[in-house]
Amino acid sequence: MIGSFFKRAALLTILGVASAGPLVLFAQGADAAKQPYQTGRIDSGTPNSTTVVKDSKGAVVSYGNSSITYNAPPTSLIGLGRALYMQNCASCHGTEANGVPATGSSGSYPALVGLGPATVDFWITSGRMPAADPRAVQAMRHVQKLTDSQALAISSWVNSLAPSYPYIPTPNLATANVSNGAALFALNCAACHTIEGDGDALASNTYAPSLRNIPAVQVVEAIRTGPANMPRFTGNLSDSQVNDIVKYVTTEIQHPNNPGGLGLGGLGPVAEGFIGLALGVGGLALFGFWVGERDE
Amino acid sequence: MSETLNTKRAKKLAKGPFGGVGHALNEIDDRLGAAKGGRTFLDKIFPDHWSFMLGEIALYSFVILLVTGIFLALYYIPSTAIVTYHGTYMPLYGQKMTEAYASSVNLSFAVRGGLLMRQMHHWACDIFVGALVVHMARVFFTGAFRKPRELNWTIGTTLMTLAIVNGFLGYSLPDDLVSGTGIRIAYSILLSLPVVGSYLAFWIFGGNFPGTMVIPRFFVLHEFIVPLLILGLVGAHLALLVRQKHTQFPGPGKTEENVVGTPMFPVFMAKTTGFLLIVGGVTAALGAFAQINPIWQFGQYHASNISYAVQPDWYMGFLDGALRIWPSWTFHSFGHTIAFETLVPALILPGLVFNLAYAWPALERKFTGDNAIHHLLDRPSDRAVRTSVGVATLSFLMMLFIASSTDVIANFFHISLNTVLWAMRILVVLVPLIAYPLSYKICKEMQSFKGAGKRKTTNVVTRTAEGEYVATASPRYVDDVPSHLAPIPVPKFITELDSVKNVDEGNGTRVVDR
Repeated sequence: MIGSFFKRAALLTILGVASAGPLVLFAQGADAAKQPYQTGRIDSGTPNSTTVVKDSKGAVVSYGNSSITYNAPPTSLIGLGRALYMQNCASCHGTEANGVPATGSSGSYPALVGLGPATVDFWITSGRMPAADPRAVQAMRHVQKLTDSQALAISSWVNSLAPSYPYIPTPNLATANVSNGAALFALNCAACHTIEGDGDALASNTYAPSLRNIPAVQVVEAIRTGPANMPRFTGNLSDSQVNDIVKYVTTEIQHPNNPGGLGLGGLGPVAEGFIGLALGVGGLALFGFWVGERDE
Repeated sequence: MSETLNTKRAKKLAKGPFGGVGHALNEIDDRLGAAKGGRTFLDKIFPDHWSFMLGEIALYSFVILLVTGIFLALYYIPSTAIVTYHGTYMPLYGQKMTEAYASSVNLSFAVRGGLLMRQMHHWACDIFVGALVVHMARVFFTGAFRKPRELNWTIGTTLMTLAIVNGFLGYSLPDDLVSGTGIRIAYSILLSLPVVGSYLAFWIFGGNFPGTMVIPRFFVLHEFIVPLLILGLVGAHLALLVRQKHTQFPGPGKTEENVVGTPMFPVFMAKTTGFLLIVGGVTAALGAFAQINPIWQFGQYHASNISYAVQPDWYMGFLDGALRIWPSWTFHSFGHTIAFETLVPALILPGLVFNLAYAWPALERKFTGDNAIHHLLDRPSDRAVRTSVGVATLSFLMMLFIASSTDVIANFFHISLNTVLWAMRILVVLVPLIAYPLSYKICKEMQSFKGAGKRKTTNVVTRTAEGEYVATASPRYVDDVPSHLAPIPVPKFITELDSVKNVDEGNGTRVVDR
């Protein structure tokens, strides 16, 4: 028995080392690319930046192309951001933004350092942070508790701890192709958010939120940073493709074309079946009740 | 005499009491002998009850399906050839798609009235199957399927199956993302059949999924073969109904030996024509004001794309729900895989339900030993076991139906999807087990309670001079007292103006021997 246990442990160790090997290569690659290239959650930028603007110290202020421009939060807001952070975020994420909560409180919370300003901005501007219930499996979209400029200030301070990408995006929807966006949406987004963008429940209390009321900037931020369960779409979607998707979401998803009458909430056959049975069959049965004899 | 014959008045008189129309009908009768058959037809007696109209909803929505379906067939192209969309709907402009999808979008946007026709067709389908269900439930709970009408029950159950199949086939034709997902599931269900599954699936799809054959083949099935089968069976269903005459609820003057009701002409014809127009009106109103299946929002189906929250049309819901909640049990051994996770919920379970429906008249004959001929209907509460079995089966199907929207329920009420899934797994077993004894008990209570189902009248409590309280029931409502005059027998032959004389007598109710 004991012999077999050791054999198994040894085998597992060898397997573990062998499978961890390629990870080292990835880690080195990420280390080497300090430019605005999107390879991982940390330092993710964009591979097709045509314009990169740097300040006098050589730090990247903005990068992007004709589709999306990513801007660093202004450094002038760092002081304000730190104060706001200590008031609203530090109790869970820790005073160093490293995910170590203040003494006395418990729980595990993500470190924010190195996530990039777009991540911080997304969670705050979508009203998910400061969290209403820090123990919830997935924070709900909520009324914004901090304003856009306060969110910008906090992301500015967090970014000052360890500068990282992606910066806060500004999509240029005028150049976007809505048809291309529709096709990309069906391929990349519909599997969770549904083809009509209503969102739906995923496993174990997680969910894909509705896209009906999401501002364009947050759509880009979500695609590029991958909040909660959402995959982070980086290398497989170019900025122009993301821009197309955002155009489709903010036009056709948020203002759907319903020439056929009432949209029935975009719930598909669930709502249609209800109407068909309640109004159609039920209504006609009532007409039959009216036309036919009732007493025995 | 010859002079007077030439006057207009004389000519008019010569045509008989019914004028030109009667003359023309006489001419037809002289040649075809149509009067006898026509008279039998026009004097056919229809027992009148509102629940007998449910089958008519199904019949008339089927008529609407045929009419709108012919319109759609003129514009739909059953082809999987790839074209580039250059229509008016911008979010699809320039996309590559099949001709089937492109023509479906085009007939919605570019054909005058096309979207209305498509939506009416879809709503009529939802109503058709729904009306079939309530009609079948009415026939079941009132015992109308009993001897001698077992054959018509069998035909009706077959019609239900064909309607569901054809609904699925039609749903698949636009080749949009949602319908493609449905075809994908159907393909997997076929594959799950042991031994023959893969051969059958390849035979039907003309190769592996998705292939290019499935749309044209489904088109032929949906537009031609299955509707013809339905049409033929509807004809047989109605012919048998005429041959065996109608059932009727027990009531004054109604026996096992007669049929009491209104004649085809003029009463029933007026009612049923009006009802046809009402069914058409409700369907048209739904088609005009409520959007159904907006395929342009879904995009072309690609095997790589999937949308969440995809449900089939409601009548396939019980299958979808069964697939969702069934545990993932698969058998892999001896070089074979049997996908019980698909086979049991998608094939064996509906097979059991439909076979129970087919077998029910025989089962009931066997267990009750009742082999007599029945023309009078049962009150459901008088047949507690049958009613309870029906309620339990319906509640079982209802739970499966609800289970097909687990994700929508979880999302809407913010419950974990896993919780909803497990709740449905338990409820689908538990609810029928509760429904059976509950409805049995209610039936028994209603049997023992005289006047159940009737409107209650007030009790007037009076105090006598001695201080005694006396409760007396006030008389029944005028509406509740049977007000039928004795039904007038339908004459065996026309005796001059005999029938004309009788028209104004009674309330239009006639009686005829079986």
